[in-house]
Amino acid sequence: MNYSQNIRVFFSSAVFSYRAQFSWLNPTMWLTMKFVLTLSQMAFFVFVGLFIRGPSVIPFIAIGNALQTVSWNTVFSVVNITSHDKWDGTLPLVLATPASRLPLFIGRAMVHVFDGMLSVVISFAFAAFIFGVDFGQANALALTFTVLLTALTMAGFGLLIGGLSFYYREPLIFANIFLFTLLIFCGINFPVQDLPQFIQPFSYAIPLTYGVSAARSAIAGATLLDIAPLLGQQLIVGLASIVLGYIFFRSFENVARKTGRIEAV
Amino acid sequence: MPQVLRVIYSAFRMAMLHWIADPQWVIPNIIAPFIFTAVALTLFQGSTGPFGLYAVLGGGMMGMWGNTLYSSGYAIEFEKWQGTLEEVIAAPSKLMHVIAGRSVSNALFGLVNMFAVLAIAALGFKIQLGIANPLLFTVSLVLTLLSVSALGLIFASAFVLSRSALTLTNGLEIPLYIISGSMFPVALLPFWIHPAAYILGPTWGIDAIRLATSQEYASQSFWNGMNWNTAILLDLTIMSLITLGYAALATVLFKMVETRARTQGTLVEA
Repeated sequence: MNYSQNIRVFFSSAVFSYRAQFSWLNPTMWLTMKFVLTLSQMAFFVFVGLFIRGPSVIPFIAIGNALQTVSWNTVFSVVNITSHDKWDGTLPLVLATPASRLPLFIGRAMVHVFDGMLSVVISFAFAAFIFGVDFGQANALALTFTVLLTALTMAGFGLLIGGLSFYYREPLIFANIFLFTLLIFCGINFPVQDLPQFIQPFSYAIPLTYGVSAARSAIAGATLLDIAPLLGQQLIVGLASIVLGYIFFRSFENVARKTGRIEAV
Repeated sequence: MPQVLRVIYSAFRMAMLHWIADPQWVIPNIIAPFIFTAVALTLFQGSTGPFGLYAVLGGGMMGMWGNTLYSSGYAIEFEKWQGTLEEVIAAPSKLMHVIAGRSVSNALFGLVNMFAVLAIAALGFKIQLGIANPLLFTVSLVLTLLSVSALGLIFASAFVLSRSALTLTNGLEIPLYIISGSMFPVALLPFWIHPAAYILGPTWGIDAIRLATSQEYASQSFWNGMNWNTAILLDLTIMSLITLGYAALATVLFKMVETRARTQGTLVEA
């Protein structure tokens, strides 16, 4: 397959996966989820933090939750693509296609990356206008780059978990568990250092941990250069998850083909 | 056994069998309250005050809430996926009674979830929770369970006509945790949200449960300065009245929704 074909597969996968989303989520609901879910999650933890620790924790919690919303798209929606293929009976057709797997695999996640970034922007607006987070010192370039990199690298995690669709009947359960555990592991509502020592290595294996930290710094005025070490670590972890996700995807695909269990699970 | 009770019991039994047949779906139901409680307890470390009480009882309450809300949406959506909603509606039994049985079963799962949250808080976070008045605690818990189930019925009636019941469920879950003040006092919320909090039965239920657990909470209750037992009874009375209101409203809504679905033939499209 040549280069232009790969580009075509990439874009058609991207567009198709996004359109397919609306088979289970109509536009009105999409907007509801974009605004209600993002605001309510942030508000819940802001009120809990306000009650326990006082107003000083509001910016920390609001920014953390704003960035975490990217995971709803990049993990949940990405996992849902393969799940829906299976429910709709189109998974064998996808696997029978001669299209190169890598552009197909990454293309499916790509539009969700931008959709996730939109969620973060909406959440930042809530943080600023409802919870009074000060964005006056924010470095726009550093913040934009952080959000983009976080969305990209978290999509890698979505693909990693999505690979389980071939082998497990309800991969959305993993997606659910993973999404919620991010609230504990990634320094969203309290610093990673508050976690027990043995949990902290898990936190640093998730790209969101670096992204949240970098976003807080960028909002406080740090430049792209200042947060480059954090973003570098995030990139390494994110690339590793994309590679691992791709390997999982291919190996699960092979096992499913050999055992004929693509639709049996 | 009266026919209504027989239908409710059958639906309850059927829901239990579904859960036993496919227990993996219990996980997403229970994970959010566990995580939210863990976050609150981690924030609580090093603080003084009744925060542990709020976090643990609030987490348990959220377990009941989430389970009931989720299953109200899921019960309808599941029937749609299986193509059995038409048969359920066409049966001579009232749809509301069928859903009521399911709601009670799911709230009961939520109750188990609540005790699991309490156990994890005690074992993982070393939170000491004695119950000051076990009898009133149990009564409060049972009445709250019924109130949550009745509210689930109202949601379920709307979900019959919606194409996105599960999405609505996801969207409603956290706002309800916030409005009912499950993990913090309602007083922290903007004043214009307070009326919404007061028409939710579980808002009063969690107040009664906290009061029955610890007398220290009395100063933060809705009935600050009032006799402890009287405060709990007032909470329970208001919640019971609201629950009856929910049941009446659900009856009307189910009738309307059923009639509309039958006359307009929109059941399968929805």
